[in-house]
Parts: sequence; structure tokens; C-alpha cells
Amino acid sequence: MAAGAMAAGASCPACGSSALVEDAHYAQQQLVCAACGCVLAEGLLTTTYTEEEHLREVAYSQSTGRKEQLSRCMQRGIRRVQDLCKVLQLPSVFEETAVSYFQRAFQHPSFHLVSLEKKELLGGCCVFVTCRQHNWPLTMGTVCSLLYAKKELFASVYLSVQKELELSVPALSLMDLVKTHLNSFRLFQRAADVPAPFVEDKEKMVARTMQIVELASETWLVTGRHPVPIVTAAAFLSWQSLQPAARLTCTLARFCKVAGVDLPPPAHLRLKELHEILLRMASQLAWLRVFKMDKKMAVKHIGDLLQHRMFLLKKSFCAEDAEEQRAGAQGEGSPGAAREETRPSEGKRQRDGGRRPLLPPCLIAPKKRLRTAAPSASDLAITGDEPISDSEIEQYLRGREEIRAFSRAKAWP
Amino acid sequence: MDGASPLERYLERCAGQDDLSASPQLFTPMSPYDVDLPIQTTPDASFSSQFNQPKELPPDFSSVDLSFLPDISQDDREQNPSEDGQERQKELDGSVSRNEDSGIFMDESSLSYPDATQPSSETSGVCPPLTPMTPMTPVTPASESSGIVPQLQNIVSTVNLACKLDLKNIALHARNAEYNPKRFAAVIMRIREPRTTALIFSSGKMVCTGAKSEEQSRLAARKYARVVQKLGFPAKFLDFKIQNMVGSCDVRFPIRLEGLVLTHQQFSSYEPELFPGLIYRMVKPRIVLLIFVSGKVVLTGAKERSEIYEAFENIYPILKGFKKASEHGPQSN
Repeated sequence: MAAGAMAAGASCPACGSSALVEDAHYAQQQLVCAACGCVLAEGLLTTTYTEEEHLREVAYSQSTGRKEQLSRCMQRGIRRVQDLCKVLQLPSVFEETAVSYFQRAFQHPSFHLVSLEKKELLGGCCVFVTCRQHNWPLTMGTVCSLLYAKKELFASVYLSVQKELELSVPALSLMDLVKTHLNSFRLFQRAADVPAPFVEDKEKMVARTMQIVELASETWLVTGRHPVPIVTAAAFLSWQSLQPAARLTCTLARFCKVAGVDLPPPAHLRLKELHEILLRMASQLAWLRVFKMDKKMAVKHIGDLLQHRMFLLKKSFCAEDAEEQRAGAQGEGSPGAAREETRPSEGKRQRDGGRRPLLPPCLIAPKKRLRTAAPSASDLAITGDEPISDSEIEQYLRGREEIRAFSRAKAWP
Repeated sequence: MDGASPLERYLERCAGQDDLSASPQLFTPMSPYDVDLPIQTTPDASFSSQFNQPKELPPDFSSVDLSFLPDISQDDREQNPSEDGQERQKELDGSVSRNEDSGIFMDESSLSYPDATQPSSETSGVCPPLTPMTPMTPVTPASESSGIVPQLQNIVSTVNLACKLDLKNIALHARNAEYNPKRFAAVIMRIREPRTTALIFSSGKMVCTGAKSEEQSRLAARKYARVVQKLGFPAKFLDFKIQNMVGSCDVRFPIRLEGLVLTHQQFSSYEPELFPGLIYRMVKPRIVLLIFVSGKVVLTGAKERSEIYEAFENIYPILKGFKKASEHGPQSN
């Protein structure tokens, strides 16, 4: 039966692709476009009786109908991935990689029986992984908001994709994140809701924000924390310092509102930590010693502080274990070696005016935690085969009266 | 218990083995700086309280098998090409020269052992009458052993009671049981000593969690089985198996997680947006470590206590390498 052969040169009227395939839907021959699924030509009526006799019924399980079902879902997913890439304005190379990851993930057995919600997130995960592999700073928050997805669900799908496909995903580059995050700030042009004192030059603000973020990273404020609040707080400080006279009175909340950006809750804490670091550095700067030092003054001179940050950090913070040695020496006092240390360390303390070690905030101000005691001698002596006394077990069993009272209260059938 | 701590027993077992693959340390120095002097260590109080003195040492070290020490012989290293990955091999090669240096340091420091009263000796059992030129104990060289012992926090074990159970009946007759069939299809039972929780299923299988040691877990599981027996069921105690062990410890210095994920990308996953710690999946032994910026490390996924100790001894030099890099002044990442 000469069905419509693959016509070289024919193109699909719907999408214009020339990838036409002959396919059979149950027993009916069809000419289908491989890219969009549009059916070009369907079934040919037989012209002779002998041709009719040769036709046979095809059971559904053997037909290509089943394959079609999966590929329709896959096609929908691929289209979603492509749309996401277009919305995020990613280069075309990213789109190809993301689609290939999506196809691999979709065909992986562990993602076959996953809920529809998760399947939709799969596309977003593949786009996210592709961006990270090319050092394109896309945050999970952005992808989740584009997909209207819950963050926890996205996180679980992301981790399983990473594990199943064995992808290595490099860490988020903070410097690139600064650039893309600041792109969304509406401060760089005068507008109806952006008053003149708020407008700022983009280049200057990006450069200074990057320097402040680098300073935060050196002083242990970045490790283990969500990156976006740090960038927000750094942007606020750099914006304030570029025109301190007009902007020192503005709050972080107002700044974010005018800039049209969400204020993440941890940003206030990051701002506080950054203020503390800047204050310490400012107190070491010779020409600022004449002023009464407070955080507004420190912000005003951020430019100077950033310029001399290497020197100032060294002066403001002592080495990590110096604090321990000092504390130990003051605590003991008796051993000869420690006694020698107390005098110079006390003198040092008076000179420094409270230099603290350069440590992450969780070590500077540790929360009070219940420390589980080391296993006692009796615990260590347990062999696991000790005899168990009846009385010990009976304390866990209910008496008759109790059972009656309990079953009445519980009202179990 | 024969007086030696579990770490002692594990290290003695390693001393008896010939091949390097069981050695408790794989020296992978990450820093470009020289190995630190063995004397410069953190004098932790926890170390001295947990680390018992070994029971006895052979007075003359010619009989002790020290072949597992990596800097002793080139031959041993070459006989073990089966270490995972070429990078390990390269790092071992690179570390030979540094090990020789540390060997010299160790000899110099060990000269001062009989005199010093410093608490900084990491190697246990300093025996003054011995010649100070040889390593003191069959343990990794002083410059590399951490002296920190991870503490076990949780043991999960399963046992088969081998009889069908009526959960409603159990919940009715036992004081320490709770049963909410709509929420979960098992009885949750707790006992006070050892302080543990058990999930008892109607098929007769039971999961016991919360114990701090393998023996405690076994004792607790037996007590639960006894309770079920007293309630009238023909419970047995079959196939007791430890499924998971969790340990934790503190290395006492902050760790640059961003740097660690760069150098150990194939093993680590660090997503500050999701979780503040770095998830390190060690291949040998197969343990997952959660490493936090404060220096606290959680190790999980072990079926045996030795795997936790081995994993920690593997990760400690790596983390120590990061400490040195960060101590030399603030650097831009």
C-alpha cells in the first residue's frame, strides 16, 4: 500500500518544520510533524478489495497510541521549558541544554509516577540547573515565583534531579547575583514614583555594592546565609553612602518600596551586622577618630572604609584563636605560662578597646544550647544483654481499672 | 567493656591490618602551606575526658606494625593503586614530601615529650622511658590525627517480633503507647531507660530510635519486645540490625564553605538558599556529612561506629586545610 511517502521538501503548515514522519494511529496511517504533532495527512481509503483484506486490527497495547500519550506530555513540558527560557531572556544555548536535561529527567524511571505538580517543576529545575552550570545567577526564588511553586517542593525536586541525573551544579556566584539583582531596582531613572534624591547612577551603585558584598563575605556574614538579603542590605548601604546628606534618614523598608523590590525579612539583621563591622573599621581610621562614631557616620565614610579595607580589617579584628588564649589565661591565672600572658593581653585589651576575633556571628554570640553530656561510665558499661526485670516492664502496663476508665474515655468501638 | 574506648579498639584493629585502605587517615592537604607543627593544636578539654589511656604498650616498637603509616614506605603506597580516583593518588604523591617534613618535626617534638608538661600531646599514652625518636602509639602521625572523637547522638535499629500484633489492644493495655491510625499506622511506644522511642507495626516489625550506643539500642529493643510479650503476644527477637548511626562533633574553627564546595565539587552540595550547611557525600566510607560554618560536623548514614570515626578522620585534614587558608588574613573569594 503506497501511503504518502515522506515528501522531501514538504513542510508542516503549523510550525514550518520539515521533520515529517509516517506514523500509524491504531491502524490508520498518518503523516505527522515531529516538532509540533500536527497531522498533515490521515488515512488513505483503500481502492481494491485485496487491500481491504490485508488490513488487520491493531490492539491498543501494540499501537503507537500509547507512545503518543507520553510524548504529548513531554512536548508540553518541553514547550514550558522553552517559554521559561524566553521569559528569562536566556541565550539559545541554554534552551537546548535545558530541554535535553528535561527529556532525560522525564524519561528517568523515578520521575514517571510523580505528581503533576512535580512534573511541572521538573522543567523549572532543568532551567535552573542549566543557568547555574553556565554561571548565570538565577535564584531559586525567581524560578519558584515564575512557576507559582512552593519552595519546599521545588527544593525536593531539585535535589532529586541533581541526584538522579548526576549533575554537578557549581555554587552561585555572588558577584553576578549582585548585577542581576540590581537590575530589578527601579532607582536608575527619574520616574513618577521615584523622587529625585532617590535616583542613582547604576555603575557606581553596582561597583560599591559589589565591594560591600565582598567585605561581608570576608567577615563571615555570607557563609551559610541566604544570598539575596545580603545583596539587598549592601545595595541599601551603598545607595545611602553615595549621597549621605539626603539619604541617611531613609529606612530600609522605604528604600525597597521605592525601588520596587521585595524586602526579605533577614535583610534587617544583615544590615545590623554590616553596621557593626563598619563601625569597628571606622573606629580604626585615623582621620575619623575626631568624630563621635556612630553608624550614620560610618555609613557616610563607606568610600574611605572600602578603600582601606584590608588594613582596617587587620586592625579591627584579632586572630581567631587569640580570643581563646586570652580567655583561657584570664580564667586560669595560675600556670606560669598563662600568668605571663595576662599582663600583655590586658594591656592589649585596653589599647584595642574591645577587638573581637573575626568569626561568623553564630560563634560570636552562640545561642544557649542544651549540651548533651558525654556518655557516663554506667552508659558505657551497657552490654545490651542485661537481664530485664519484670517490675521494670510492669510499670508500663495498665491496671484493670485504668483500662476500663481509658476505654470509656476513648470510646473506641 | 574491657576498659579501652571504642576508638582505641578501632585504632588497634587498624594497626593489625596490612593494607593502607583501612588506614584511618587519607592525607589530602588542600593548602599550599606547609603542614603545621604538631605542637600547635587546640587543647580541648573534651578530648582528655573521653580518651582513655591505653591499657598497655609494647616496650619496644620493633614488633609493632607501622606499615600503614603513609610516610614510612613507598612500596606500600604503590601496592594500592585501587584507591578511588586518580586524584587521591596524586594527592598522596604530593603529600610524601610533606610527610617527610612532618616526620622530622615529630621527631624533634617527641624529644621534648619527657620534659614538657604541656597538655597539647595529641597522641595518647606518652611513655617517658621510651626512646623519643619513634612514634609513640600506633596511630596516625601527631600532625594529622585530630584528637577529636565524634559523639554518637542517635542509633536507629530494626527488629522482627515475628507475630501479628493487634495495635489497638496494645494501645489500650500499655501506658507508654500512643496510636493514631488516621495519622500513622503504627503504635509509638517510649521507655525511660534507655530513653528511646519505638514504632511497632501490626506485621510485627519494630523500629527503635533514640539510643546513644549500639548496646543501648539492643537493650531498649529487648525491653520493647518484653512489653509486647507481657501484653500477651508471642513476640520473638529476630534479625536485630542497626540501620543508621548519627554522630556529631566540633572542629573548633570556622569553615569557609564556599571554598570547600569549589575544591570538592564532586562530593559536596552547598545551597545556602536551601540549607545553611554543606552536604558532603563521602565515597569511602559511604557517609553523609553536614558541615556548618561554625565548625560543627554531623555524620550520618553509618552502619558501624568505625565508619563514623573513619569519615571524620578523613574530613578533618580537609577542613584543617581551609582553616590555614583563612587564617592568613581576609582574602577575597
